[in-house]
Amino acid sequence: MLGFSRSSLTNFLFWVTQKKWFLITIAVGIILVLLPTPSGLTVEGYRIIIIVITALMMIITEPIPLPAVAIYILVFEVILGINDADGIARSFMNDAVFFIMGSLMLSVAIIKQGWDKQIALGIITLTGNKTKNIVFGFTAISAILSSFIGEHTVAAIMLPIGMTLIRFTSEDKDKVKGLSAVLLFSIAYGSLIGSIGTPSGGGRNVIMMSYFHDFGLSISYLEWMIKVYPLVIVQIPIISWVLIKSFTPEYNRLDTGVRKLVVQVAKSPNMTGRNTVAAFIFLLVFLGWVFLSETYGLGTIALFGVFLYLVAGFVKWEDLSKNTHWGVILLFGATISLGSNINDTGAALWLANQVVNLFETIMNSFPFAVDIIIIVMTTTMANVLSSSATVAVLGPITLNLGENAMHLGLVTAIASAFGYFTAVAAPACTIVYSSGLVGAKDFLKVGWRVGVISMILLVFYANTYWLIIN
Amino acid sequence: MKILIAVASKEYSGPTLRVGMQIAKALNASTTIVDVAEKANKFNSKVVGLAQERMDSWEFDRPGINVLEWAFNFLAENDYITPTMVEAGFSTNMLVEIGENRSEVFLKGTVCKDVQLILRNGDIIAELREEVKQGHYDVTIIGGSGKRRMAHDLIQYIDSSIFVVNQFDPNQKYRLLLAVDDSTGTKGAVKFGVRVAQAFKIDVDILTVSKVDRFGDGYKGAAERAGKFMRRTGIQYQNIYRVGDPSEIIKNEAGDNHIVIMGASTKNPLMKFFKGSKPLKVMEDCPCPILIVK
Repeated sequence: MLGFSRSSLTNFLFWVTQKKWFLITIAVGIILVLLPTPSGLTVEGYRIIIIVITALMMIITEPIPLPAVAIYILVFEVILGINDADGIARSFMNDAVFFIMGSLMLSVAIIKQGWDKQIALGIITLTGNKTKNIVFGFTAISAILSSFIGEHTVAAIMLPIGMTLIRFTSEDKDKVKGLSAVLLFSIAYGSLIGSIGTPSGGGRNVIMMSYFHDFGLSISYLEWMIKVYPLVIVQIPIISWVLIKSFTPEYNRLDTGVRKLVVQVAKSPNMTGRNTVAAFIFLLVFLGWVFLSETYGLGTIALFGVFLYLVAGFVKWEDLSKNTHWGVILLFGATISLGSNINDTGAALWLANQVVNLFETIMNSFPFAVDIIIIVMTTTMANVLSSSATVAVLGPITLNLGENAMHLGLVTAIASAFGYFTAVAAPACTIVYSSGLVGAKDFLKVGWRVGVISMILLVFYANTYWLIIN
Repeated sequence: MKILIAVASKEYSGPTLRVGMQIAKALNASTTIVDVAEKANKFNSKVVGLAQERMDSWEFDRPGINVLEWAFNFLAENDYITPTMVEAGFSTNMLVEIGENRSEVFLKGTVCKDVQLILRNGDIIAELREEVKQGHYDVTIIGGSGKRRMAHDLIQYIDSSIFVVNQFDPNQKYRLLLAVDDSTGTKGAVKFGVRVAQAFKIDVDILTVSKVDRFGDGYKGAAERAGKFMRRTGIQYQNIYRVGDPSEIIKNEAGDNHIVIMGASTKNPLMKFFKGSKPLKVMEDCPCPILIVK
């Protein structure tokens, strides 16, 4: 047919099948470009919205590699005249991107230290053998650690501990289905709820901080903790209770499992001086974040930590290079550029006005309606997209939804951590899902309960505690 | 002859592996058993990889290894691999990483030639397509999938004959339904038909369907040649001639007690893409195993 062999036609059709969402996205993009610019919106503003829509479609459906989406965003921002090439390049890199890069590399360095065995012993010493206490312990430790070292790092460290406890309780997976779910979800959800506690808990928090800066606002590391950490502490027992009620564990006590775990951990090498130095470097990074981040930026301090780990030989560059997802860094840079240009072109304000017009009646009738709208929008988007990308794109819009931008921004950042509903929503959930011991349906089963509780808690918390401390 | 058997889990892939190995044994084919494990989404692939590294240090197997171990045990229990291999047992150390998404275990076969176990990660269609392309397989054996689109894509894009082990019952006494016509695919289908009939020691129904109330020379000739081939190889057969819609008649004749064999559609790939094909329709409708010969 037209000189094409059957084989080349088949190859082409296979490409079409694999890339169908890319083709659909391009078609949607072309249709949107051909439509007239909505009234009240600049041409550049309309074009940046088209780029946002098409980029989000490609991020969600993954028809092309993530770095290709990043390149698409940057190239089309220039081609469609959103800004000149230098302007786009400047909007691509800021301290938030440095932080994401630094925290991904720190994560590799920390995971390579093999602290999991010491953590396992620590948890068991604190909780004893009762399943309820162990679940609480897993949730609490995951939450506390993820506030400082990031949710994916904690999930990667905690997963083998949880799985070992399950395996030592019973080799037959069918006999410990409830226990498996409750322990693994306590790791995933514990990591998620903890990640909101400090700015360094996740890239999304740092992205929001950079938007605060653009809006002429500022919040220090400690101020963030004072505003948000109590919510983490309140959530820990509630989430543990919901998990226990959702998946009834088969055993009330894990005597055998705990005993065997302690024996296994005892066989592993003791904490060495080298481990202590590695922990000390992280402590330095943490202190830097708390006391110096307003001067030097969270990203620079994270990268300084990576520098120390490399210089001291705790991690090889080859390991960092192999295990750091450079494509994700590129993509976050591109989404931050999108966010910045949504703001600069006036598209953020226009979109915010559309949301206000759409929900005007509700906003005027119900108190906290703006919070509820932001939380629902952010949570929905964070469950199909990455939480950082959600904040990068939604942040400039939600900050324009009311007068108290700090309040709205914090609500957005916190709600972006409510990725409880799907296995792909957050790295911690994907890591736990990769164990094969929990299924996609389990996430929905328990996720909606935890999600609804977290949403209600956030609305209540933001409109009581923040008023009190202000 | 090279055979690729795609398995997914102990729970669902038992019949696929059993039938696949039975055919491999009959054909003395070099056999590969492949499991395509799900790959983490692109956002989280690196962190999942890191988590799995930690899992290794706690002696947990990576996803998919349990499927290979189950396949190994099946081969060992049924004497498909040499006693030395059986004695050594399955170990993750045997797994050799070749490329980013592919690991393999090489085993020495007994009744059939070499047996390989392959673990791949990623999209099932893309990975199976790549494996067939790399290994130049003659037949790919897969389980019946509830997903219509997946079956369509496998048949359309995998460059080997496809045997779909759909609702195979080991206690059922099957016959072989060999659909023949004047298309170029019939010759290959007849050859495979003989081999499968010999492998399962079953009788053959040679079915010729005409859409009009007349059988042309091409159709008659194809049926006669197929019969001659069966006679020569000592296989019991009967010729059946029917008039009507081919897909519908093949489905009715097959019932649930036949293994259907037919040639792949010779339609243009674009036509197949938009309108489907006869083999695809039969595969969707028939509650029995089907071999589509390319």
